[in-house]
Amino acid sequence: MEESWACASVEKDLDRVVTKLEQLRDNASADVGDIAILMSDLVNALGNAEQMVTTLNSSTQVNANAPSVDDPMGDGVSMQVETEPTAPQRPTDRHMEVIRGAILKCNERVQKLSTEHRDLHGSISKIGKAIDRNFSADFTSTMRVDVLQDEDNLMLLNKAIAKHYCRQGMDTVARTLIKECKMTEDQAQDVFDSEREFADIYSIWMKIQKRELTEALKWTKRYSPQLMERQSLIEFRLHRMRFMQLVSYGVESQHEAVVYARTNFKKFALRYEHEIANLMASFIYLPAGLENSPYKHFLGQEMWTELSFIFLKDACQLLGISKNSALSVVVNAGCTALPALLNIKQVMQSRQVLGMWNGCDELPIEIDLQPEFRFHSIFACPILRQQTSEDNPPKKLTCGHVISNDALTKLSNGHILKCPYCPVEQNAEEAVRIYF
Amino acid sequence: MFWYITEYFRGSDGIFYIAIAIASQLQANINPFNKEICETRTRKMSEIKALEHATLKVPYEILNKRFRSAQKIIDREVDQVMNVSRQVDKALDADPPVLADVTKLMGNVAQKLQVLKRKAEESINDELSVTQICKRKLEHLKGIMPPNTGTGELWQGSVDQWKRIRLDRLVIEHLLRMGYYETAEELAARSDVRHLTNLDIFQNSREVEDDLANHSTTKCVLWCIDNKSKLRKINSTIDFSLRVQEFIELVRHNQRFEAVKHSRRYFPAYEKTQLNEICHVMSLLAYPADTEMEHYKKYMDPQRWQKLVLDFRHENYRLFQLSSTSVFSAAVQAGLSALKTPHCYTQTCRNLNCPVCQDDLNRIALKLPYSHCVQSRLICRVTGLPLNEHNQPMMLPNGQIFGQMALTDITKDDGTVTCPVTNTKFSNPKIEKVFVM
Repeated sequence: MEESWACASVEKDLDRVVTKLEQLRDNASADVGDIAILMSDLVNALGNAEQMVTTLNSSTQVNANAPSVDDPMGDGVSMQVETEPTAPQRPTDRHMEVIRGAILKCNERVQKLSTEHRDLHGSISKIGKAIDRNFSADFTSTMRVDVLQDEDNLMLLNKAIAKHYCRQGMDTVARTLIKECKMTEDQAQDVFDSEREFADIYSIWMKIQKRELTEALKWTKRYSPQLMERQSLIEFRLHRMRFMQLVSYGVESQHEAVVYARTNFKKFALRYEHEIANLMASFIYLPAGLENSPYKHFLGQEMWTELSFIFLKDACQLLGISKNSALSVVVNAGCTALPALLNIKQVMQSRQVLGMWNGCDELPIEIDLQPEFRFHSIFACPILRQQTSEDNPPKKLTCGHVISNDALTKLSNGHILKCPYCPVEQNAEEAVRIYF
Repeated sequence: MFWYITEYFRGSDGIFYIAIAIASQLQANINPFNKEICETRTRKMSEIKALEHATLKVPYEILNKRFRSAQKIIDREVDQVMNVSRQVDKALDADPPVLADVTKLMGNVAQKLQVLKRKAEESINDELSVTQICKRKLEHLKGIMPPNTGTGELWQGSVDQWKRIRLDRLVIEHLLRMGYYETAEELAARSDVRHLTNLDIFQNSREVEDDLANHSTTKCVLWCIDNKSKLRKINSTIDFSLRVQEFIELVRHNQRFEAVKHSRRYFPAYEKTQLNEICHVMSLLAYPADTEMEHYKKYMDPQRWQKLVLDFRHENYRLFQLSSTSVFSAAVQAGLSALKTPHCYTQTCRNLNCPVCQDDLNRIALKLPYSHCVQSRLICRVTGLPLNEHNQPMMLPNGQIFGQMALTDITKDDGTVTCPVTNTKFSNPKIEKVFVM
């Protein structure tokens, strides 16, 4: 399963390119660097030779050895210079040979750099192909283009976005958006009038994420009786975390930790007796540091993630507000629905059924959403496999079974109806319209 | 498997072991937590596959572009080196060769080599920095996978966190497409997701857009030159539109000779594809700038600049092979549809927690299809709990259905039942069980 995963295959191609690029960079700087040093050594040697001649004005032999020992040209740069003060000086044959060799090598290396870099193109475009192969690029067929191009609807969407961020206490983001999209006063007012309760909870949640517990503890203290009544774990978990935090500061805060445990663990003594004993035993490991003790997982990142999640969940439940904003519910539901819609699109295209949305007033498939995303009852007639509607309402037969009105008319013979689920025969007109 | 069984049979208490082996097999298969994790894994994978194309494609296109410009730079510097080295060869072949000249030219070679080395390193590092962006995004995408160990709450928490970041990313992308750059910036800073978005990349396009909004074509022309070959590949006409706009501005300011010069310089390149348009535009020369003729008035309309901004934005997205609509709007639509039920449009059955029942989203969803459902799923309108064998659906005399568990909530001590939907009161009513298949 893991092999077939889209990210893994893109990553493989990407890693390959990274290695090649790094290799190329290192090789290039080594190769070109070498040859550049060689060149400047040669230049120095030649310069020296020239100078010697002009100053000494006599036949001299200059030994100019290039500094790098592994340099193949280095030892070749010794030269015999003929002097003829008035005429321009000529390089010896030996010079010419060495220089030609160096130039040849230089040309080779730089061209190699260019070709090797060009050869990377294949590997790079493989990444692009892997992305295109593994990810879908086009959604246009899964949506009605007109719905979110309409100015009014776009403004409504902006409003939903602004509300979402307002709810999380990011008022500045909401304000900037309102300014930038030129939202009307009334609508903007509406944004800020929406539920504010969540912002407090959210800010405490953020603090827990940043490993600050004071606010959260204050909040749970205020709602302690209600939390106890709901058997919520959160209060004890928060105290436990705070206690471990104190313990983790080391021996100096030992006293503080003991006092903390005494004041705060008392009311949990019955419910968490075992766990409290467990926690108190952590003092044994204090001198050696908690990092090397069985208690280290108490302070891991996972514990904080879990803690903040439980807090958000329980606090929202207690206040009777949803922990997700309308926008996030919609978008997350959409993210679940899109893959399914893209799949069905391929099937529909292959059977040449056009237009998933045109002329249909229902999605072509059922989207399997999490239970928390279900807000309304839907009754699908078990006979006709259709959702009921105003025109075709659900009806309860006298035996208690429910079918749709259309199914009822189809199944009844005159007034007589035999229930499809049980042996009861009844008068079709006695079925009652029901409401879910 | 069969081998195992026969092996076990040979042992004295073989049957006992078989029982254990089979039991543990079964347990592994039906362990609900494992199964749930498997399903979520598959589902998460398909979400990533369906939604994250742009997340990776944009940095890839940047990488591709950096690669091409790196190649150009390297080739140019290589050419430079080769040029001087050829000169050295020439100087050596000269009769008689002059040592001083050769030395000087060799010095040039050394210098050019240093430049080549520096530039090659720089450009390759540039490429590598883009691969880092890709890498970071991949790492983030992989974070959606549930961990192999840990409690349900832990991974619920981390998935929730991941989804929150995804929402921020999607919103930022949408804001960019709408041109709300400031909001996008602010949101990215506040929620610390900048490195996961394409914000940096679209910084440049913001400058071009601002420039166009100020009635200047300079930056956009530069952008066109920068992306010339790609634009040609996608058959873009944006460069032509820019030239036309420049022409129009010259006409507007009554610099008609300048306009003619401009047209001579730029329009011939487009004569094959845009001849008709060119003729129309050229005839502007014959009319006053405030012409009332419908056909020409549209060219002189300053609104045309606004259209250029949108055109540019659109072409920029095409350049990165991004779909013409944002993932966000696709997700909003699909989500609204998936949640939309006929109940959301009745007065009596609205649920305040349902997003589609809220006014704004309700109006957006008006034209969208309803969710599809072949299996009934019933929820009690009082408690919000599902109706099933543990919470049987019960019918009041007026045909309204509620869960068994809700009955205590709506029944008073004296036996009166108040229907929470219609507010009708029944004293000691007959409440019937209903069977839903």
